[in-house]
Parts: sequence; structure tokens; C-alpha cells
Amino acid sequence: MEWLNGETVSILLFFIGIYGIIARRNIVKTVISIGIMQTAVILFFITINYKEGSVPPIGNVTQSNIADPIPQALMITAIVIGVAVTAVSLTMFITLYHKYGTTNWAKMTKRRMDQEND
Amino acid sequence: MIRLYLFILLPMLLATVMYLFPNKHIKRIAILFQAGLLVCAIVNFLYVKQYETIFERLGGWDGYVGISLRADALSSVMLMLTAVLFLVMLIFNYSKDYVNNLFLFLFLVLQALMMGIFLSNDLFNIYVLMEVSTIIVSILIMFKKDSQSIYDGMIYLFVNIVGMAFFLFGIGFIYKIFGVLDFNGIKEKMHLIEHSKTLIIPYALMITAVGLKSALMPLFSWLPKAHATPSAPSIVSAILSGLYVKTGIYLFIRVQEMYIGRIDMSEYFMVMGFLTGVIGFILALSQTDIKLILAYHTISQIGLIMIGLNYPDTNAYWGAVYHIISHAFVKSTLFLTAGIIIEEYKTRNIWEIKGVFKRLPIVATSSILAILGITGAPFFNGSISKYLIESGIKGNMLEYGVLLINLGTIIYFMKYLSMFWGKWEGPKARVDKYRRVIIIILGLLCFIGGLYGQGLINYLFNQDVVIDLPSYMQKIIVYLASLVVGVIIYKRIVLKSQILYKVQELKVGFNNVCLLITIFFSVTLLYLVMKYMLLEPAVASVARFF
Repeated sequence: MEWLNGETVSILLFFIGIYGIIARRNIVKTVISIGIMQTAVILFFITINYKEGSVPPIGNVTQSNIADPIPQALMITAIVIGVAVTAVSLTMFITLYHKYGTTNWAKMTKRRMDQEND
Repeated sequence: MIRLYLFILLPMLLATVMYLFPNKHIKRIAILFQAGLLVCAIVNFLYVKQYETIFERLGGWDGYVGISLRADALSSVMLMLTAVLFLVMLIFNYSKDYVNNLFLFLFLVLQALMMGIFLSNDLFNIYVLMEVSTIIVSILIMFKKDSQSIYDGMIYLFVNIVGMAFFLFGIGFIYKIFGVLDFNGIKEKMHLIEHSKTLIIPYALMITAVGLKSALMPLFSWLPKAHATPSAPSIVSAILSGLYVKTGIYLFIRVQEMYIGRIDMSEYFMVMGFLTGVIGFILALSQTDIKLILAYHTISQIGLIMIGLNYPDTNAYWGAVYHIISHAFVKSTLFLTAGIIIEEYKTRNIWEIKGVFKRLPIVATSSILAILGITGAPFFNGSISKYLIESGIKGNMLEYGVLLINLGTIIYFMKYLSMFWGKWEGPKARVDKYRRVIIIILGLLCFIGGLYGQGLINYLFNQDVVIDLPSYMQKIIVYLASLVVGVIIYKRIVLKSQILYKVQELKVGFNNVCLLITIFFSVTLLYLVMKYMLLEPAVASVARFF
């Protein structure tokens, strides 16, 4: 089971997310799929370059096998951005849902086009 | 010298302060601030020109640990361009009511983020700045809050977030391979990579996102909607189409630079650029909405820039870089004038607008200056950049491709011009005095950029491009010939045939856009695998055999 590490799982998750955004017509599911893609990337970052038995770089660490702190620092930023993006997209979705009354991409696109042609 | 981080921090701070303490002077303060920022950008440019590229490490960390900023010739010129365009846009809308503190906040933050993208020397920072600017832009698109523009803003946001997820994944692979995210650090370690195949996956992931941002061939379907939303303020359209899409091209240049020596995909992107240009003008021809014509026109010009950037010739390269600047001015002029025309006529349909010359003489004149500029009329800015691109790729098949794209540009501007003629009996319409001044200045800049084009390129980029008179004359003849052919094709074919109006809009839903992104990614990956894993070893083994 050595192949089942963070990297392979994250690549798998990323493509599950892509499947979600391509195949699902529901806008809420699209938001969820984008969330899955972002989570996959976060998992990828925090598992690369991980070595068994390394210690966190807190305080005066004398050991030589120190875990790389940069990916964690980067991913905190990425998580914050992910939260903001999800919040903004859900807000937009709610506004549009009140106007068009549908959660389906195809129906929404059609109503947008009808509106343009009027 | 001016500390580089101020270019990012100051607009953001001012935006926050103005949002928190709104008063009736904020527009004036913003304009004054922009003028100051422009002066700073010019000083910064002069410093970079005189001494050398500035590198600045924030936080004082050694090595490639901290965040670093970089100002070289290209980025300091882009910085000046940003400062000029934002100043012009704010003056243009000085007397409009919708420019309240919220709008100014978003607008100035967008400026700060764009300057950050141009200055950043670190991949993860670029990701953060890109992602935040995507959110800001989507809110600006839906600023007037009608349901159409909310839909367009939402599509824009979702598509770009998906693209940036690809980018972040690519950065992950880069970090795994190199252990640094700084451009310089990566370039330093690039020679340690033994085989190009290690870099295939990160390259494909990153270039997918960059291609999406710069609206390459299959990935441009978000652009017209975002740039030409009916109700978006015209200054937002102008900034998006003139400047913001250039951040994608700027990133393209940086990413290509980063992979130099290991991965070279210029032939692939040359073909992509050609296809983008052709499809852009075909779609532009079939539009009836004037803002959409301009948006599709941006796509075809991006194709042209891509051809120039990827052709292995310095003339073509600097021609393309100069085309980025001239297109920025031309497209801002056109979007601003289109905004005034739409406000005056209350319609966006090109066939319903007649007699702009009589009704809005100044607006029409400056639009025509800009159109002459972008179609490459002699002594206008487009002619310099197009001349350089064409002289660079002389003898290659693509030369005809560039001529074809330019012919397409001429044809659909024939259509665009049709609204200027015609009768108008009533009085001349009044244009606000700030707007009048701005569009005249922008129109004249298109002309000045052509007259002093060669000198400007030499001065801005320290590049000795040669524009030799006989071949420039030859280009003028080619231009006149393609003008005649363009008029004939327009009158005989475009006006009479109905086929073009069938393709009016590629109705691509969100799911299909994502499918296109995945297809683009897979094709790029396949091409890279073919080139670096199948062909290269084969060639090498054949070479060893002999």
C-alpha cells in the first residue's frame, strides 16, 4: 500500500473535482467540486517532501530532520483564499437564484440568452 | 529610488481609507493620488533604465525564503502603463454618480493587485494576487447589479478559479522539484534538471492557467461575456480589455522565461496564436453588439501578440511587446468612445446607430484615430508593432497568417465604421468636458505612438529595432492593398451573406468551458510527451547510432 500516499490521493481528488465541474449541472455541486479541487491541491502541498520522523521547526530544534514549514505557511493562505472564493461564489449564486429561480447551469444560460434577445 | 512595495501598498491603503471615511472630495483625492503614482512609476522606470534591475526582498530574509519583488525594463514599463490608464479612467468618469467610495475601493485595489502581478518575482504571490484580482474583477463586472451582469460575473469567477486551481497544482509540482518558488531560484536550479520530462506536468498545468488568463484559442469563451457585459461601466470594460488581459500575457512571458533551456513550446503557441487570431476575427465579424465586436477584437489581437512573442526573432518579440502597449491605448479609446455612443443612442446594436459623425464629432474622430491605429495605418502605433512582427517572421508561412489576421481586422472595422456615417438632423450632443479631453488625448496618443514608435521602443526597452524606410513603404502599399481587398470583401460578401450571422455566439455553457480547459490541458500534455519523451530520445538514439 505504499503507493497510497498523499500525492496520489491528491491527484485522484483533483480529477474527481474536474469530473464534478464537467459533468454536474447543479451550481451548488459545482461550488463543491471546486472546493474538492482546492482541497486536493492543499493535500498535495502538505504531503510533498514529507519525511518519516521529521519534527516541526518550533523553538531551538537541534535535530537535523526538520519538516519544511513553507508549504504549511503557503497553504494557510490558500485556505483563506478558498474560503473567500467559496463565500463570494455562493453569494452570487443566491442572488441569481432569486432572479432566475433555478440551480441548473443549462437553464440559467438559456434564461440569460432569452433576456438578451428581448 | 522608490521602494517597490509602495506601488502595491499605497493604492490599497488609500482605497481602504477612502472607503472607511467617504467625503465629497474622494474623487479628487484619487485623481491626485494617481498622478503622484504615475510620477513615481516614471521615476522608478528612469532608475531601472539608468542602473539595473531592482530586486527587493521583503522582510530581509536571505536566499529565496522571503517574498521578493523585481522591477526590470518590461515590468517597469507595464507599471507606467497601469498608472497612466488608471489615471485616465478616473478623470474620464469624474462627473459620474456611480463612482462612489465602493467603486473607487474596488478600482484602486484592482490597480494595486495588477501592479503586484507585474512586480512579483514569486510564483505563489502571483497566484494569490491573481486569485484576489479575479474576485475584484467579477464584482466590478456586476457593479450595476442586474441579473445579466451577475450571471456574466459568476461565469467569469468560476472559470478563472478553476484555471487558477490548475496553476496552484503546477506550483506544487514546481516546489516539489525545486524547493523554491522564486523565479531567480528556479532559473538558477534549472540546469540541474537532467531531463525535460520531469517538468512536463508542472509546465502543462501552469500553461493551462496562463492560457486561460490570456484567452488563448479554446479558452477564450469567458472573455467576451466579461469584457462586454451590457451594463458594466465602460471604464471597467476598458481596463479589463486594455490592461487586465495583458497580465495573462505578461505571466506567459515570465513562465516561458522560467523554463528556458528545458522546455520550449514556441511552435505550439505560434500555431495557437494564429488560430486565436483567425477565430477572433471571424467571431467579431458576426457580432452586432458594438461592445462584443470590440471584445472579440481583443481576442484576435492576442493571437497576433502570441505569434510575435513566440517567433524566435528579436524584432518580432519587441514588436509584440510594443503591440501590448499600443493595443492597451487603442482598446481603451474604443471602449470609452463606445460607452459614450451607447449612452447617447441607448442601444448597442450596430445597425441601429447612424450618423455618429454628425451627432458626436469628437467621439467619432478619436474612434477613427484608434481604428487607424489598430488596423496598422501608416504612421499610427499599430503600424509600428505590426511592421516589426511582420519583418521578424519574413519568409515564414505565418507571414501570410499575420496578413490574414490584419485583413480580418480591417473587414470588421469596416463594419464598425458603418455607424459613423449617415444622417443626423438634430443638434450635436453634448459630451462632458472631462470625457472630451480624455478621449482626444487617448486618440492622439495612438498617433504619437506611431510617429515616435521606433524611438519609443529604443528608449523604453533599450532595444535597437530598425525600421527601414523602403520596407516600411512596402508595408504601406500592402496596407492600402489589404484595405481595398477588405472593402471589397466587406461589401460583396459580408453584407450579403447570412452564414456569418448563424455563428453569432458560441453558446458555451460553464460545463463545456471546463471541458475545454481539460481538453487544452490534455492536448498540451500529449504534445509535451510526444516532444520530450518519444521524439527526443528517438532522435538522440539515432544520433548515437551514426
